[in-house]
Amino acid sequence: MGIEIGSVRLSLDDLAARVAQEFAGELTDVSIQEPDTIVARLECSKLHPVARRLHDLAEIAYDSLNWIAAVDYRTHFESVYHLYSYATNTYLEVHVEVPRAKAVVETVCDIWPAADWHEREAWDMMGIRYEGHPDLRRILLKDDWIGHPLRKDYVDLAENHPNV
Amino acid sequence: MSDEFVDTVPDEALRLALSRVAGATAAGEGSDMQGLRLDEVVLNMGPQHPSTHGVLRLVVTLDGEMVKDVIPVIGYLHRCKEKLAEKRTYYQYIPIPDRTEYVAGMNCEWGYVMTVEKLAGIQPTRRAEVIRVIMAELNRIASHLVAVGTFTADLAPLGTAMVFYMFRDREQILDLLEAASGARMMFNYFRFGGVRYDLPDGWVEKCRDFLERFPKMVQEYESLVETNAIFLQRCLGKGVISQQDVVDYAITGPNARASGVAHDLRRTRPYSVYPELDFDLCLGRHGDVYDRYKVRIEEMKQSRAIILQCLDMLPKGPVQVGSLKPPYVITPPPGAVYTAQENPRGEYGTYIVSDGSRYPYRLKYRDPCFINLQIFPKLLTGNKIADAVAISGSMDLVLGGIDR
Repeated sequence: MGIEIGSVRLSLDDLAARVAQEFAGELTDVSIQEPDTIVARLECSKLHPVARRLHDLAEIAYDSLNWIAAVDYRTHFESVYHLYSYATNTYLEVHVEVPRAKAVVETVCDIWPAADWHEREAWDMMGIRYEGHPDLRRILLKDDWIGHPLRKDYVDLAENHPNV
Repeated sequence: MSDEFVDTVPDEALRLALSRVAGATAAGEGSDMQGLRLDEVVLNMGPQHPSTHGVLRLVVTLDGEMVKDVIPVIGYLHRCKEKLAEKRTYYQYIPIPDRTEYVAGMNCEWGYVMTVEKLAGIQPTRRAEVIRVIMAELNRIASHLVAVGTFTADLAPLGTAMVFYMFRDREQILDLLEAASGARMMFNYFRFGGVRYDLPDGWVEKCRDFLERFPKMVQEYESLVETNAIFLQRCLGKGVISQQDVVDYAITGPNARASGVAHDLRRTRPYSVYPELDFDLCLGRHGDVYDRYKVRIEEMKQSRAIILQCLDMLPKGPVQVGSLKPPYVITPPPGAVYTAQENPRGEYGTYIVSDGSRYPYRLKYRDPCFINLQIFPKLLTGNKIADAVAISGSMDLVLGGIDR
């Protein structure tokens, strides 16, 4: 077995068109960010099945999860999935909007094992709960910390970290 | 360990490890043929432990000498690097990335500066680009020297001899970096559109002089370890990372290349002047501890070749776009950008969201060590505890980057 990087030669435009067609009605606002990234939006409820299909795509599979970032846009959260395809040597950035009132997203740990700690970090820092995650504990902060510091409305009080 | 201790200290990782042992015993897995109980021991390695190269803590479940389960615990060096970005202007934040992966400060700074430049549409001068490559590659050599040196110190046969040889030679690189930037580790050297200072007089000659002597040093390292039977026995075939693991866990850098995956951002996502430079990717075949050691040794030689080419092509001109005067404010247009840089440990990326103000709205690091560490439970389980130390040393973790 050998992994060849960039073995499938497709222009970024063609690739974006193919992804948009394959996931019509699911991945929306598909755009291109030079030199090698496709950016798209996805509805929260469709995340898991779409992620599974992205991972299993024939020929141009997004087989690696590069990172997950959680961003607080005050009105809502966003969970950003940065995927990498070894075959085409391109990236796909999927933005998933998460409502503030119910910050719950389905986990993608079972699809990309690399998601594990990123989801824990997003939970720790931003308070987005990844449903179905096997071990959703805090990762960088202490186990008994109260609150999620990267939220824009977080206020740091001594009561939040009693044992520090 | 007594239950009282576990109850008074909030320690979820320890609780988890103990519950797994208890669960296995209840299910009958912990007993042998005669029904005798084979006790499993939960051992806490770190955060203060010499072989963890920082403050990594591993909660290890042992059956005799064999590792049955590993739970890594991190966060002891968390310094809120991402939150700090939201309270500082883009310029004020430049020294902070140095302190994430502190062994390769130049590379980390470059990662951050490159992202902001892309966000704000700034094109650095040509001379600055070449200087950046020189600094990053010098720092890569210095970083690999630390990585290989401390790794060999973890393996008993060489004691600490090798690590001192390597630190001795690393000093010379730090002297060069100090002469250029004014600091030995926390450089604060990169600026948007260039670098802070031009190279001082005589620097190029000094650098050439060092590179002249460098192959001999590498030869010395190789002759020290590669003929050592104990070293080879402890490295060959241990801690194999398959290519599928590389894909699944998004492993990058020398650890991926040791498994034969030709992923190197200098090639796959070229930036700066790397497309013009001639260098080889060093690939391993087995993905074991030895390959991870060897790839780093070979990469140092390639870095030397890159620096020599850069010194030859170093153009004249300014090292900074425009003038560097107060109030040092830039306001990138709203948007989000991710760029990454091939750090000595892998893909070091920065994702910045801008809202059009003087401060980053959100900054996120993609740290290679944080991601490479995720494979530890899978990698260490089934090995002897002494091998686990060798394997974790070969992964070259820097906790400053992991915890941020």
